[in-house]
Amino acid sequence: MKVQAIHSFLVHPDKGQEEQTTIGGTRVTGQNRLVEMLTDVFTAAPEECKHDIYFLPNDAGEQKNECRDLLLAYVNGPSKANGLKLAQRLQSVTTHRSKLGLMFVIVGRKDALKRIVVSRFPADHGILADEKDANLNVEFVERVFMQSATAYKSAVYEGTSGAHFWKGRAIDKQINSDVSVANYWIREFLKSDFAVTGAAGTRRFAVSLRDAIAAADTVATKQELSSLAHLLLNIDGQVKNTAQILHEFHMSPAAGLLIRNQFPSEKVYAESFKFTADEFRQHIAFRSVELDNGALLTASASGFDDVFTRQQTGNQVRFSTVGSVIDDKLRKTKS
Amino acid sequence: MTLEQEYARRYEHALQPAAVSLQELIVDYLTGLPRIDRVTVRAKSVERFLKKAEAVVEGEPKYSEPMSQIQDQIGARVVTFYLADVEAVAGRIRKYMNPIEIKTLVPDSESEFGYVGQHFILLLPTDVSAKIPEADALLPPFFELQVKTLFQHAWAEANHDLLYKPVFALSADQRRKVAFTAAQSWGADMIFEELHQTGART
Repeated sequence: MKVQAIHSFLVHPDKGQEEQTTIGGTRVTGQNRLVEMLTDVFTAAPEECKHDIYFLPNDAGEQKNECRDLLLAYVNGPSKANGLKLAQRLQSVTTHRSKLGLMFVIVGRKDALKRIVVSRFPADHGILADEKDANLNVEFVERVFMQSATAYKSAVYEGTSGAHFWKGRAIDKQINSDVSVANYWIREFLKSDFAVTGAAGTRRFAVSLRDAIAAADTVATKQELSSLAHLLLNIDGQVKNTAQILHEFHMSPAAGLLIRNQFPSEKVYAESFKFTADEFRQHIAFRSVELDNGALLTASASGFDDVFTRQQTGNQVRFSTVGSVIDDKLRKTKS
Repeated sequence: MTLEQEYARRYEHALQPAAVSLQELIVDYLTGLPRIDRVTVRAKSVERFLKKAEAVVEGEPKYSEPMSQIQDQIGARVVTFYLADVEAVAGRIRKYMNPIEIKTLVPDSESEFGYVGQHFILLLPTDVSAKIPEADALLPPFFELQVKTLFQHAWAEANHDLLYKPVFALSADQRRKVAFTAAQSWGADMIFEELHQTGART
């Protein structure tokens, strides 16, 4: 896909300020390192932006989104004036915590397919080292803008007409920060949300975990997967995809594959969602362990390891627990 | 390829299987909610799609790109017993699915009676599209969901049938009769809701 236009704007942290700073902007042209770098950002954006997002309807529930309108205006007329409107929008939601930033808007096309990328490089400071004739000059520099590993933000949208561009992808390295920072890029600037609701993503993960436990053919894998249910409650409210969850909890390849196999496609497996502990508990409420002597121990999935003390001796295991009896049931089936 | 051929291919290979899959998913999402009469999902027929695609507004075609612009190529409907159940279903739907449009359709003025319903244009979940080969090329990104009571649904169906009958222009008196049935449907919903709420309190 060929880049058609690039504009850059210096965006100040002016959220809540009546007087908005005048934004300086420029068209980035020529054949130089900056254009090369931004072309790379443009090309890599669909891969780099990991979160599927969509534009929210307006407050009246209509199919109208002010940020989408600005993006579409730039796609259809990539001018400095149209880019400036996006920069003004970003500036109006930028707090001092997010600091000064350099915004790039890049549009390109291949045949009828158009792509727009909006990126924000946060301001940083650094040291400029200039080596000349065996001498070294060092100088402190401010307003250095970097594709920061901790604060970089970008979004990409593609489509062939105005009927498209409702769904896109974003990256926000601060997505799991506190609410004000986490909401800044996707919720406030893009007026968007994750394409998969927290409840839907969590539910799908919980059902996959449950099915993976049922499909596991060794006790060790079943135990490993069951233990995950307990640990997951620590990530309540965090945005993850399934692969990240499995990686962060050091699941074995066998257990990870069992979960992966429950998903209908790689795309679904890779979708980000906000993990919701309440939703998870609705689908994985109880954990049961069956012993070869006929014993069946059941407790809440999150509390099983707290309720039962486990002592392993070779292949044998002793579970013990202490409490007052509050009920006693006979059941037709085990589950 | 003509529009008819293009849509017919989409209908057969993507919309119909997606509708089946979506119905299962919606039923699953609504599990545990009481008083749901039915959940139906259908792919818009080729004939109806073409008819809609030909719509004209002020002398101009309404849709320049009907394959992208017509958003009810997959239409879902949930029919509930009472008005309060519509709210419960809408809440559950919002929990699991994302809308780009939410509309509560009511007559224009307080003294009119007519179509009533809660409509959503929702993102087609990837749980559904993941099962369709060539989904990116063939499946629309959205579908329409209507949530209605039994009475709202019954009135809308009969009204639709009358309106879409060819060469059937309603007289003023007949239109009044249609409005009367809408008023009765509205009244029945109100009374059943009251009775239901009273029953819930006792």
